[in-house]
Amino acid sequence: MSAERAPGLLAGDSLNLRLARRSLGLIVLCLVLLPFADLAITTHDPWAELGRMLSGLVHPDILATESLPHAIALTIGFALWGTLLGVVLGFPLALLFSRSRLLRGGCAFVRAIHELFWALLLLQVFGLSAVTAIAALTIPYAGIFAKVYAEILELTPRAPVDALPEGVSRLSRFVYAELPMVWSRLSGYTRYRFECAMRSSVLLGFVGLPTLGFHLESAFREGRYSEAGALLWMFYLMIASLHLWGHRRLLPWIALGSLFLLGPWPDIDGALLWRFVSVDLWPKPLLEGNWNELWQWFGDIPDLLPAIGNTLLLGLMGTVGSLVVALLLWPLASRHFGNRPTRTAGKGVLILMRSTPELMLAFIFLLMLGPSMLPAWLALSLHNGALIAFLVARHADAIVPGNHALPASARYAYELLPRLYGGLLALLFYRAETIIRETALLGMLGIATLGFHIDSSFAYMMFDQAFVLLLITAALNIGVDALARRYRPREIANTPGHRDHPTGEAAC
Amino acid sequence: MSVEELVRFDGEALGHARHTVLADLTLRLRAGQRVALLGPSGVGKSTLLAGLRQRLGHRAAWCPQEHGLVPPLSVYHNVYMGRLERHSAFANLMNLIRPRRDAWHDIQALCAELGLERLLKRPVAQLSGGQRQRVAIARALYQAREVFLGDEPVASIDPHQARRLLQMVQHRHATCVIALHQRELALTHFDRVWGLRDGQLILDAPARELTLEDLDTLYPDAHSSDVPPEPA
Repeated sequence: MSAERAPGLLAGDSLNLRLARRSLGLIVLCLVLLPFADLAITTHDPWAELGRMLSGLVHPDILATESLPHAIALTIGFALWGTLLGVVLGFPLALLFSRSRLLRGGCAFVRAIHELFWALLLLQVFGLSAVTAIAALTIPYAGIFAKVYAEILELTPRAPVDALPEGVSRLSRFVYAELPMVWSRLSGYTRYRFECAMRSSVLLGFVGLPTLGFHLESAFREGRYSEAGALLWMFYLMIASLHLWGHRRLLPWIALGSLFLLGPWPDIDGALLWRFVSVDLWPKPLLEGNWNELWQWFGDIPDLLPAIGNTLLLGLMGTVGSLVVALLLWPLASRHFGNRPTRTAGKGVLILMRSTPELMLAFIFLLMLGPSMLPAWLALSLHNGALIAFLVARHADAIVPGNHALPASARYAYELLPRLYGGLLALLFYRAETIIRETALLGMLGIATLGFHIDSSFAYMMFDQAFVLLLITAALNIGVDALARRYRPREIANTPGHRDHPTGEAAC
Repeated sequence: MSVEELVRFDGEALGHARHTVLADLTLRLRAGQRVALLGPSGVGKSTLLAGLRQRLGHRAAWCPQEHGLVPPLSVYHNVYMGRLERHSAFANLMNLIRPRRDAWHDIQALCAELGLERLLKRPVAQLSGGQRQRVAIARALYQAREVFLGDEPVASIDPHQARRLLQMVQHRHATCVIALHQRELALTHFDRVWGLRDGQLILDAPARELTLEDLDTLYPDAHSSDVPPEPA
């Protein structure tokens, strides 16, 4: 008699086992590399600092900020015009997207550079003006809209076009038989992107543009936590009430009205602009065609390789952290666990964490823990983990468990997780591109990733160095995206990611 | 008397890019013929109609099933699409914002005849299945062409109304080819019946020479024992 031997640890060929091995591999890789990361806590008493911040949140002082309405109006104005112009530029590009490899590459490039880096770059030419703010949103958004709109348009049902009489012009065909079929998806995505723009617009304050983030940053930095608390609540309120004031008929009026607040517009000196684009941004040896010196020039960039290494390492740590956080937190917001009060609280926490941008979270942790990779890691893991957990919980709620009598742990491990894990992992891999983008950005807070060097290069007016670092960041981002795309689980037909973000890689 | 021959297939194969649906097809369509096209679903009726449509080009009005409609647009705009090629792109664009007066009057009159009055401004998405089919017919009638090609235009419409709609179509088109699955209508309202089965045209005869039993042979389910099951 030959009994079949019980399989070894995680041995087997089922989809979930393969996914489990893949994620464990990722976690092990992260653990092996963890000793290289600087995770020191350098502040004296982090808990006391946290206590002060929380007490600021509990006792917000709404009147402490001067010109708060103006900051709010600017935040909305920048977001609105940034999105609007992004649509105006991105839509025509979407129509050409599938035809031009050059265009696809260009869009991938502008997408790969974070809004704030664009702001830093544009700041050098347009100063602290609305042009900088709006263009910093418009440029990457045009690339995103081009890609996402193109993907949506590609899925246009063919039947109405086939039913048309012969000889209908291209434009008539498009506006009658194609555009109406995908209109609701296009506008739905645009609305979602506007929400992202609101968050980015707040963040623009971190480079000095007078949005809500500017006041938020200074209040936090100077320890005025009641004011910071009030501003944070204001920010959440603005995002949460978007569906109230972000009405289709109201937005054009808000856009027009905000025009009066956006000035004064900068004087643009064409010659100076041209000099900046054609000379200042490029390494001098490159312009002179001197290749030997170019190598030396590269060698002179301080800590280039460690910065790249740190960016990748933090990206990996952020991805793994998000995975762990998502696995732990999704039951908080799912109907299969706990009772009504715990679920409401759990949902609240998840929504709060996912609506707070990584940069803001990292900034708060930084004040608590001091400058190391730890605050950035926490911020990346909590923000992205909460975002994924929330979507997974919604997916879980659609599942009807077969056996109601199981204890919670068995329900988690046997009934639900096996059905959710593929989707969860797909979402995580979608997020990987966003995570690496944010990782570079977090350098602006003083963490030794690429963003730190970009920020300081700009500060020392070394535009050529800053620009090359931006190019390296973009290349890294595109590379990680390609890698994540390769290892993303494909076998799951209906992942929550597909439903919630038609194109998860472009999520904000 | 010589009757104009509109389309002629001589042992031709019709199908999609790599898949032949109808092999070795031979038939003629003459001006003034009212043809009912019968056969089980999936047999190639749509392929044959598409082939006819291609040959006839601008002479044919085309009435596909309701999935040819654009649900978010109004009934008016969906019907208007029947003449989209006769106006400039700019005129079409303006018409989306403000309906053309002349087109509105024509379409209003047409829709009244089809029982769609007062629905002109309503998005097709909000209509019932029967109403949508009538919109599809309205669009084909609005094209005002010589030949009417319909792919089951009266499929989900009650028999009484189906008769009325067929009469309306035939009143405006001397020649028509209409795919149906109501066999009775094929005998009462058409001159000729084409029957498809297993990728072949196995019936091409005047309607008055046919009986319902003749038509039953087209459908494998009609007889239980003597007909081999259709290959999957």
